Amino acid sequence: MSQVAVTPGGRAALRGRLGSEARAAAVRPDTRRALQLGLAAVWLLDGVLQYQPFMYTKAFAQSLAGTAAGNPSVIARPITWDANLVQHHLVLINTTFATVQLLLGLGIAFRPTVRIALAASIAWSVGVWLFGEGLGGVLIGGASPLNGAPGAVIIYGLLAVLLWPADRAPSAPFIAARAVGAHVARALWLVFWLSEVYFALIPANRAPQAVNAMIVRMEGGEPGWLAAIQRGGASLVANQGLAASVALAVALALIAVGVYLPRSLAKATLVLAIVLALVIWVVAQALGAILASGATDPNSGPLLVLLALAYWPARTVIGRQPAAGRHRAAAVLAAAGEAELAR
Amino acid sequence: MTPAWIFDLLAALMLVVAAVSAVRLVAARPWRPGSVIIDTDIAHLLMAIAMAGVLASSLSTLPGTAWEVIFGVMIAWYVFRVVLDARANGVRALAGGHCAPHLVHSGAMLYMFLAATSSAGAMAGMAGMSGGPASAMLMLSDPTLAFVFAAILIGYSIWDLDQLSGKRYGLASARVPLVQVRAGVPAMAGVPAMAGAESVAESVAGAFSGPRHAGADLDPGTGSRPDSGRADGSHVVACGDGAIGDGAAAGGAIGEFLLSPAVTVGCRITMSVAMVFMLLIAI
Repeated sequence: MSQVAVTPGGRAALRGRLGSEARAAAVRPDTRRALQLGLAAVWLLDGVLQYQPFMYTKAFAQSLAGTAAGNPSVIARPITWDANLVQHHLVLINTTFATVQLLLGLGIAFRPTVRIALAASIAWSVGVWLFGEGLGGVLIGGASPLNGAPGAVIIYGLLAVLLWPADRAPSAPFIAARAVGAHVARALWLVFWLSEVYFALIPANRAPQAVNAMIVRMEGGEPGWLAAIQRGGASLVANQGLAASVALAVALALIAVGVYLPRSLAKATLVLAIVLALVIWVVAQALGAILASGATDPNSGPLLVLLALAYWPARTVIGRQPAAGRHRAAAVLAAAGEAELAR
Repeated sequence: MTPAWIFDLLAALMLVVAAVSAVRLVAARPWRPGSVIIDTDIAHLLMAIAMAGVLASSLSTLPGTAWEVIFGVMIAWYVFRVVLDARANGVRALAGGHCAPHLVHSGAMLYMFLAATSSAGAMAGMAGMSGGPASAMLMLSDPTLAFVFAAILIGYSIWDLDQLSGKRYGLASARVPLVQVRAGVPAMAGVPAMAGAESVAESVAGAFSGPRHAGADLDPGTGSRPDSGRADGSHVVACGDGAIGDGAAAGGAIGEFLLSPAVTVGCRITMSVAMVFMLLIAI
């Protein structure tokens, strides 16, 4: 922090003091904490988006009810019940939805409540995936990696599990392995991305105009620059549904097996995952349609980036450090407030 | 539509922020020579009043043009501060500095007023801008810019909350005698004990429970800055999250709390979240 002497004719002195800014040192978060903060930011964004005027109209309840269509009755019935409830108590329920998501974001960002907020976010994600998204459309053949399959909200839950502040794996090769162990983390990654491969290749997504139509559908209401990018993307895949789906599936399969490859190749596949997630987010998901108003979340793009970063190979394996190094690392972590999280 | 009572609730929160900032400014005693003025508190006071007016038309104070001028001046001030901060601290000034978030706040506020006035019909709801009837009709042109501002503010809110709970900011005021302020000792709480200056800045360190900061350009012997020494009776303006104090804070524990850096950061988080709400609701 600086102090500034406001003196007549003392411009040089003023600049000198302004420039010599000394401030409270930041509490540097470690990589896992940084990813937790990324997750918190997305939850906070979700919460605020849920307060938008559109969410207080019957259209919101109707969009919920729409996810029941085509699902087995055991899934469809609770969704219909939920949609009816929302329709009848729109203000109360939507404000609760918004506030819960806002609190999840703030709770993850606030160190003493990180565990309870992450645990609540897992429960919330599963609930919304079931009652709000109809399992992301995975059972009705409408899911695609381009529209956020298997449902963006379930990725929040997956991230909360992988970023849980515990250290069960003594020698974690990447952040996601710290909480659940390397084998489980890799298996989760493999299952997730192979499911994306499957969704990319289902008949509905292989049709000649399937990918094109999906992109064009998202264009409505977007600002000019984004709509232009989408038009460009849509024209590239016009009548190329099969080729686009196969190419996407190959890329997704490479990403799926990437975490089992040697370090340098694993990094390359993670970069591919990040780039693909961003391209899908911008071109196919139109930034989650946030700019067109009426979006409840930014869709899967940013979450897939966070997920990929959680699997980024660590520079050093914590459990294999020499004893002295471990002590130094522990001291640094304690100073950074990490000890508080690990309690 | 988003219920009006949500806007009213946020407007009330903004009034609380304005009140806290006003208390801190009064505690700084700007009318006295050698006093400490924190520009953060001035910014918070003005922004909170402006935001309350936008959120609830009955709380509207100045016309939109006046707010545009005010926020334009604030942007110029914080650009100047951020540039100097960046020269001293590098890019960290943007990520962890205190002035950069206020620059974004000021920019977002100016954008909201300008975007509103440039499309008067749709913006009739922005009370402070056109005296319209209801803030539930908030709408802004150029949603991309609104989203960019919202995304940056979300980032700062989350970071601030993490740092607040990571004990970067203390809950007690600095208890820095003004004589020390004049002698160039860090004037506000939230300023950590400097390397080699613990003996002089002990009272400041007491208010700061986070890791110690090294590398500040203080004289190792005295803890003073080489160019310090303010025997000319001038005022001090500080950009930061510090507490203000010249000994025991008035009002005892409550006074201590109100003047602490944690409260300033808490105000900043509240304003950031409210601003994100205003920006995204209006897309």
